[in-house]
Amino acid sequence: MTTSPRLVVFCFFFVTVILFSAGLSAGLDAQSRAPADDSLAIVVNRGNPVENLSFSELRKIFLGEQTHWSNGRRITVVMLEPGNAERQAVLVQIYKMGEKDFINYFLHGMFTGEIHAAPRPLPSSEEVLKFVLNVPGAIGYVKAPNVNDSVKVVRVESRLPSEKDYLLRLHGKPPK
Amino acid sequence: MCIPKSKVRVEMNCSAVGELGKLRTGVRGRTLAGLAVFLFLAVIATPLLRAQQTDAPSNAKKEPEEALLKRVVQLEARLKEVEAALAKAQPGAAVAATAPAPHSAADPPPVAASAPQEAAPAPQPQAEQTGQEPMDLNRTLLHIRGYSDVDLRGSTLKGDPTSTTAFGLGQVNLFVTSDVSDKFKFLSEVVFEAGSDNVFGVDIERMLLTYSFNDYLNVSVGRYHTAIGYYNTAYHHSTWFQTATGRPFLFAFEDQGGILPIHNLGASITGKVPSGSLGLHYVAELGNGRAYRASEPVQNAVDENTHKALNFAVFARPERIRGLQVGFSAYRDLLTPAAVPAIDETIFAAHAVYTGLDFEWLNEALLIRHSPQGTPQVFNTPGFYSQISRRYRSYRPYFRYQYLNAPASEPIFSPSVGLRHGPSFGLRYDMSEFVAVKMQYDYTMLRGDRAFHTLALQTGFTF
Repeated sequence: MTTSPRLVVFCFFFVTVILFSAGLSAGLDAQSRAPADDSLAIVVNRGNPVENLSFSELRKIFLGEQTHWSNGRRITVVMLEPGNAERQAVLVQIYKMGEKDFINYFLHGMFTGEIHAAPRPLPSSEEVLKFVLNVPGAIGYVKAPNVNDSVKVVRVESRLPSEKDYLLRLHGKPPK
Repeated sequence: MCIPKSKVRVEMNCSAVGELGKLRTGVRGRTLAGLAVFLFLAVIATPLLRAQQTDAPSNAKKEPEEALLKRVVQLEARLKEVEAALAKAQPGAAVAATAPAPHSAADPPPVAASAPQEAAPAPQPQAEQTGQEPMDLNRTLLHIRGYSDVDLRGSTLKGDPTSTTAFGLGQVNLFVTSDVSDKFKFLSEVVFEAGSDNVFGVDIERMLLTYSFNDYLNVSVGRYHTAIGYYNTAYHHSTWFQTATGRPFLFAFEDQGGILPIHNLGASITGKVPSGSLGLHYVAELGNGRAYRASEPVQNAVDENTHKALNFAVFARPERIRGLQVGFSAYRDLLTPAAVPAIDETIFAAHAVYTGLDFEWLNEALLIRHSPQGTPQVFNTPGFYSQISRRYRSYRPYFRYQYLNAPASEPIFSPSVGLRHGPSFGLRYDMSEFVAVKMQYDYTMLRGDRAFHTLALQTGFTF
């Protein structure tokens, strides 16, 4: 079997270009998404003036200790239902308590009257986004890749989910 | 970092190209041609293989998917039929189903289940939000949770007809809350309870309507638990929340021989004090105070005098030590019991408590001062308790020591209160998230070297 050298050269360059472009695009893809894939975005209604929350403020809000936004709106916290990995991450990193202690904390807080309402449970990230879209005082969390333009992502300790050293991650540890 | 990663990828690709170049010069033409053809075929074949990989399971699932699609079509048709029937029956219903009504932040609308939305298009809010939310008359605004307990209790105290060993129903507490609006909140505790005569009675132990301006100012009116110390406003009428089987006798309810004005009716202002990480809070209360002429100690509708009881409390919850609360309160009232001069009552209370997830340490001290008007006499009744517990999985052993000493000539408390002090040991076992079984032993010493033992078994629960 005889093969034309031109065909060999053509095949060689063709393969090279394919491999090169595939590798480059994979690398760029990893570059743009790797840091955010694992992070949990804190989302609020787009009409909410808040842009940044310290971790301490975030914790107070989720614990029901801070009940109003700076614009006077009452805060409504949204939690994913038990069984979600995002909920587990928030319990560990923000609440620093387990499911049972979470229930007890809010039962007791509402019983004493110090906590206005327990976080509203929703089944999925889509429902969280819808809820935050429709309730001006709502705050919730979703995995960063699931965020869309219907809500506003709040910086935590001046960092967005895509940035380095962002605190809230799906498998992160409780911040000090 | 990501950028270096991609550089590495590019470098790797370049080195791969270099290696191919070396191969090209070092291998014979036929072999090279074969290799090139192989690579070409590989490149061409890879997407096909991928496509086959992705298609393979879909082929495998083709039949069930087709069945599911058929089922979806059937269900959609059925849904249309139901909607049409509903629209005929209730002309407004179909409209309501497609256009959600405005809702309050306090009680947001149920989020309808739907297919996952795409990330790209941003949905629009379902309704314009305003400060005034119309009340949905089709829904109840009440949230009800219950607390109760069943006890088995026995005591060696002689001369008390209620100290026989007996089963007893504890308080059946219906805790009702309601988000009246974005700013107004309703809260109440309706308690059904059997007295020492075994007859059930109903009490509205708490009933508060609160207007919340912000985190720093909340105004409430109604019947409340006086913010004297910590225990009274931490556990209210639920034994399930309490570690022990009951309250320290310093904080016993009025109808159970308690000495404090546990309940009050009037107005209160609460909120945070801007204090940074110190976490200061304040409570100011103005109410009728406690009655000493009538059989009912809580003045729900009529006050024995026009003087109002005033209570002010301040406490700190430092951010650095979550679970710690340190506070102080001062209560002032004028008591007008029958057949004796009016008595000025002042109650000072201080507390330092730590309630972590596992460890609990409660410490409170009170001083009740009674000063009959027109006399230089002052009667001081001091009291304190300390309670410590530690959770080990579902078990929580605890210890409490309490002390209360009313002077023998005390014009209000004598002779029923006197001196009471002693230790309590107990074990709480949380059988489930909402059911706890407790066993407690008390040794109580009284004035005149008298003492008695009490053993209690309790099942407390919330429902």
